[in-house]
Amino acid sequence: MLTFKLAFRNLFRNTRRTVLTVILIGFSLAALIFTDAVVIGMTNVITDSVTTTLNGEAQVHRRGFLESLDTDLVLDASESIEAILERDPSVSAHAPRILSGGMISSTYNVTSGLIYGVNADKEVKVSKINEAIVEGYYLTGAPAEILIGKSMARLLEVELGDRIVLTLAEANSGELTQALFRVSGLLEFGMRELDDNFVFINLDKGREMLGLESESHQIIIRFNNPDDAIDKNLPLYRTLNTQDVEALSWLEANTEIASILGMSGYSSFIVGAILFLLATLGVINSMFMSIYERIYEIGVIKALGTKPMQLVLLVVTEAGMIALLSCVFGMMLGGALGLWFADHGIPMGEMEMSGISLDNTIKTVLVPAQFINFPVYVVVLTVCAALYPARFASRITPATALQRSL
Amino acid sequence: MSPVIRTRNLCRYFGSGETLVKAVDQVSIDIDPGEFTAVIGPSGSGKTTFLHLVGGLDNPTSGSVELSGINIESMSGAALSDFRRDHIGFIFQSYNLIPVLSAEENIEYIMLLQGLPSHTRKARVTDMLEVVGLSGLGNRRPPQLSGGQQQRVAVARAMASSPDIILADEPTANLDSKTGIALLDVMRDLNQSQGMTFVFSTHDEKIMERATRLIHMHDGRILADERK
Repeated sequence: MLTFKLAFRNLFRNTRRTVLTVILIGFSLAALIFTDAVVIGMTNVITDSVTTTLNGEAQVHRRGFLESLDTDLVLDASESIEAILERDPSVSAHAPRILSGGMISSTYNVTSGLIYGVNADKEVKVSKINEAIVEGYYLTGAPAEILIGKSMARLLEVELGDRIVLTLAEANSGELTQALFRVSGLLEFGMRELDDNFVFINLDKGREMLGLESESHQIIIRFNNPDDAIDKNLPLYRTLNTQDVEALSWLEANTEIASILGMSGYSSFIVGAILFLLATLGVINSMFMSIYERIYEIGVIKALGTKPMQLVLLVVTEAGMIALLSCVFGMMLGGALGLWFADHGIPMGEMEMSGISLDNTIKTVLVPAQFINFPVYVVVLTVCAALYPARFASRITPATALQRSL
Repeated sequence: MSPVIRTRNLCRYFGSGETLVKAVDQVSIDIDPGEFTAVIGPSGSGKTTFLHLVGGLDNPTSGSVELSGINIESMSGAALSDFRRDHIGFIFQSYNLIPVLSAEENIEYIMLLQGLPSHTRKARVTDMLEVVGLSGLGNRRPPQLSGGQQQRVAVARAMASSPDIILADEPTANLDSKTGIALLDVMRDLNQSQGMTFVFSTHDEKIMERATRLIHMHDGRILADERK
């Protein structure tokens, strides 16, 4: 009790220094909370962009298809796989696709691109193709319909209703095949890679051009609980993964994004380490200043019979109280910043990462761990930082302390 | 009667070689219980260092210090702290008190270290404040007290743990002569009424007059030991 009373009153002996130390540590905590909130917000944006734009939360394909995009590598049992997905309670939607590289020609120009054959009805539940239409209309199932990016339309110098010829190679024979389409819709995903290179036709027409029947190249999956997608032990993955067929979560299918997300966790750690190093030095400096200012008094209380450990406890308690005050200040500041930017967002401009366009506004996300774990780190680190000056105070002989003063 | 303080060939040197300073040099002395002893001498004569060595605040270069028959120079830090707490009272020249504690709390501090129960502490604080003539001022913090009052609180605190010896390093140095003599009178009264041993350093002749024994120091050595 005496230690607490003395420690508390000592905080107000030099109020300016205490306030400055509290601000230093509090700002570090607030910065850490805010940085973590931004990282979580950015992770959510990346995750959302990857999983909702085109690639879904998981996909099934033949082994090797993702690396080569070889049209021969089809899912022969596409319909039975879809039947499994239909029955699985964790799956909310699924959509089969065919994919092929091809040549896209208009009257005026020609370009190469990636042709997606999609099931119009099922696709709306797994991707944002429908939402990306800026002119025209979405696929209805009519064979001549084609959706192209607005930038590709500019390159080909075509408008809605104009004719386009797709040339691609049949899946098994490799024979070239052509078909005539009319531009039914123009897309704008906001991702250069998609808007410049991707075209979408109806699945049946795509199959027909590739010489396929019920096969598909990939089946896109969305889950009722998005967290199931990255659960490697999900029974569905065990069912679908065979010698020839591969079912991958969006993280496994997008290894670059997975690396970026992995790094984002480290970024919080690095920012935290730098901030806390500075705060720790601040605490050591502050506590040493405090001890030197009352070195004579420390000599007196040691002379009276205060044990070295009691002195350590006093200095550490003072540091602990500074840490608690800092936590209150830091949590209020970090929380206020986090809430404000969660509402208003941080404008990031146009950002594209590994072909994924990020929403131009990142909204911070506050989670309980930021207000439990981080303050605990602050208190532990501050108390640890105070051990060095505390040890100094406890080891100085009373006679030496009584001869020193600032 | 066995002495309450006994030193034998006590030395405390600082520095080495040409810069060697013999702050206390070969001091052997016995001080009996109940004595009111003044250690006198000019500045730099070794008075403060001698009191620090006797009080276990500093380690001797050589020689021995026995307090109440116990050799203290071989004690560990914590054991020496306990010994000081229970057997020695200190009064320093100035800044004696913990400024964030009231007069009462300053007196109570040492009893808290001793682990005495609350009612005992409170009763003794009241007694001590009365003895030093500061009843009613217990709630004041040091900056709200005069220099003389602060030194009286320091005397009360030194008495509070019922020590065998009270060591005072120039307790009147920062007081005007009238207040200084008044403080010495308080100490002398306690010495006579409670039989407590006082050893204090001073170079004030008026203060010396009140001592029953004068130990003259010069260049770390005892030049004379005079009993009145």
